[in-house]
Amino acid sequence: MSLTTLDGTSDVLDARKTYNAALAKRADRTRATWFPLLLLALLLAFPAMQFLGNYNYAIHLILFTASYVVMASGWNILGGFAGYISLGHNVFFAIGGYFAGMIFARLGISTIILAPFAGLLCAVVGYGIGQITLKVRGPSFIISSLALVMIVRILFDHWEFVGGSGGLALPANDLPVRWAKLPYYYAFVVMAAFAVWASYKIKHSKFGLGLRALSKDEIKAESAGIDTRRYKTLAFAISAFFVGMAGAVWGEYLTYIRPNIFLIILVSVNMVLICILGGKGTVAGPVVGAILIVTFNEFFVATLGASEINILATGLVMASVLIFFPLGIVGTLAKSGRLPRILNWD
Amino acid sequence: MLEVKGLCKYFGGIRAVDDCTFTAEEGQITALIGPNGAGKTTAFNCVSRTMMPTRGEVWLDGRRIDRLRPHKITGMGLSRTFQISRNLADMTVLENVIAQAQVRGWRDLFRPAMSAAEIDKAMGILDFLGITRIAHEDGSNLSYGQKKLMDLAALLMSDPKIILLDEPAGGVNLSLLEEIIGHIRKLNEAGLTVLIVEHNMDLIMRLSHKVVVMAQGAIIAEGTPEEVRADPAVLDAYLGSTLDEEEAA
Repeated sequence: MSLTTLDGTSDVLDARKTYNAALAKRADRTRATWFPLLLLALLLAFPAMQFLGNYNYAIHLILFTASYVVMASGWNILGGFAGYISLGHNVFFAIGGYFAGMIFARLGISTIILAPFAGLLCAVVGYGIGQITLKVRGPSFIISSLALVMIVRILFDHWEFVGGSGGLALPANDLPVRWAKLPYYYAFVVMAAFAVWASYKIKHSKFGLGLRALSKDEIKAESAGIDTRRYKTLAFAISAFFVGMAGAVWGEYLTYIRPNIFLIILVSVNMVLICILGGKGTVAGPVVGAILIVTFNEFFVATLGASEINILATGLVMASVLIFFPLGIVGTLAKSGRLPRILNWD
Repeated sequence: MLEVKGLCKYFGGIRAVDDCTFTAEEGQITALIGPNGAGKTTAFNCVSRTMMPTRGEVWLDGRRIDRLRPHKITGMGLSRTFQISRNLADMTVLENVIAQAQVRGWRDLFRPAMSAAEIDKAMGILDFLGITRIAHEDGSNLSYGQKKLMDLAALLMSDPKIILLDEPAGGVNLSLLEEIIGHIRKLNEAGLTVLIVEHNMDLIMRLSHKVVVMAQGAIIAEGTPEEVRADPAVLDAYLGSTLDEEEAA
C-alpha cells in the first residue's frame, strides 16, 4: 500500500524537498569533520617531537588517554546507545590482555598484530555472555555484570597456566628508550580513531537507530519490529571487541599481565565515568571524557601527591561537573544547542 | 484474517482473559469493547505477543503466531499502537517513525539509518496525517494528541496488513477525534484491516463493521453495531448506562 500518493500533491512534495534540503545543509554546517581528522593527524605526527627532546611523559599520557578512548567508545556502544550499564567490561580487557599476552610470551607474536584477534575472541565471549545477562535490564543487569567480574577474577586468580594471582611477566621490546613507547602509541591512537569512526557509523545506521529505540522503551521497540534481543547482544559483542583490543596491547605495554591490573573495578568504573562525564550516547563524549579524566588525575596527583587526597579531589571535580552538565559535557551542550562545532561529531 | 481461538490469560488466580474466540475479517474494522477491566487490552497484548497468552491460539493469514516473538509478528504485517503512547523520547518524530521501518537480515543493519526513500515515505505518511510540521520536533515535546498521531504514523511505516489500535481516541479532544476517525476510515478504505479497542462509543458505532463485547474476561456478544446495541446482555454489562445517560441528556 502506498500512502505517499494518498494526499500528496506536487506542491506539498516540492515544499517538503526544499525544507529537507535546508535541513541537511544546516546539519552539514554544524558538523566539523575536519577537526577530528586534524586531531588525528597531529597525534600521528607528535612523536616527531622525540627528535627535539624527551617527550616520553607526554607520549605516555596521550597513549593512556587513547587507550581509555578505545575502551570508553566501546563501552558507549552498549552503555550509551543501548542503555545497558555494564560494570563488568574489564572482563574483556582481561580476556584480551591474557589472550594476546600469552601468545606473545610463548610464540613472540606482537600483541599489536594479535589485537584484532583478541577483540574477536572477546566479541564471541561477549555475545555468549550477552545472551544470558541481557535478559534483564536496569539494576539487575548492573549486578549481573559485577558478578561476572568476580567470577572471572576468581578464575584468573587460580588458573596456574596463566600465572595465577601473581601473573606473568612479558618481555620488553628492545628499542631504545626514546622510541620504545612508539609502537604502542601508534597502536592505541589508531585503535582510538577506529573506535570513534565505528561509533559514528553505528550511530548513523539502522542498527544504531534500533539501539537508541530499545534504550528508551524495549517493549515498544520490539513491537515496532526491532529484534531487540539480536540488537543488544550484537551491541554487547561489538563493545567487548573494542575493550578486548585495548586489553591486548595494554598487557605488552606494561610488560606484565596480572589479575589485579586488569580485573580491578577501577578499570570498568573509569569507562563508565568517562562516558557519563563526556556524554553517554554521543560520539565525541568518550573522547572528551577520557581527556578530562586523565587530565584531572594527572593534575591532582602532581599537585596533591600520590596520597588519597588526589582521588578525593578528582571525585569532587567530577561531581561538580555533573551538577552543571547532567547529560555529560557533550550531551548537555548539544541539548541546549551550544555545542561548539568542533565537538559535534555525531 | 486474524483468528483468535480459546485465548486465555491468567495472572495468578485472576482470569483476565478467559477463553476468548473472535475473528477480524479482512478489510473490515472490528472493535473490541467492554467496561473497564474487561480484559480488552490484555487480549490485545496477547494477540500482538506483548504478553504471552496462558493458553489459546492466534492465527494470522493461516499462520499460527502466538509463539512467535513480537518483532516477527510485526514483520508479518500486524502492527499495534499502545494505549498510553509509548514514544521514544530524545528522538525526533521522523526518527520515531523511521525506527519502525522494517529491517531484514544482517546487511540491512549497517546501512544508513534514514535512507532518502524512507524519509520520503515517512514524510508522506506524516503529510497524510497532517503533521509534517512537527517532523523534526523532539518526540518528548509533543502534546498528547500529537503523540497519538505520531504512533499512527510509525505504525503505518511498517507496511502493515492489519493494525491493532489500543484506544486511539483516549483522552483526545473532539476535533482531533473527528480527524482520527477520518484517518482510520481512509486507511480502511485503502485496504487495511483494523482491530480497535476503544471506550468512545461514538467512534465505535460510526466506524466499525463488527463489534465484539467483552466483560470480565469473556466475550458476551458479537455482531454489527446495531445488533450489539440492542443486545440485552450488552446493555446490562456496559451500554445500558451509556444509553441512559444519552437519553437523560
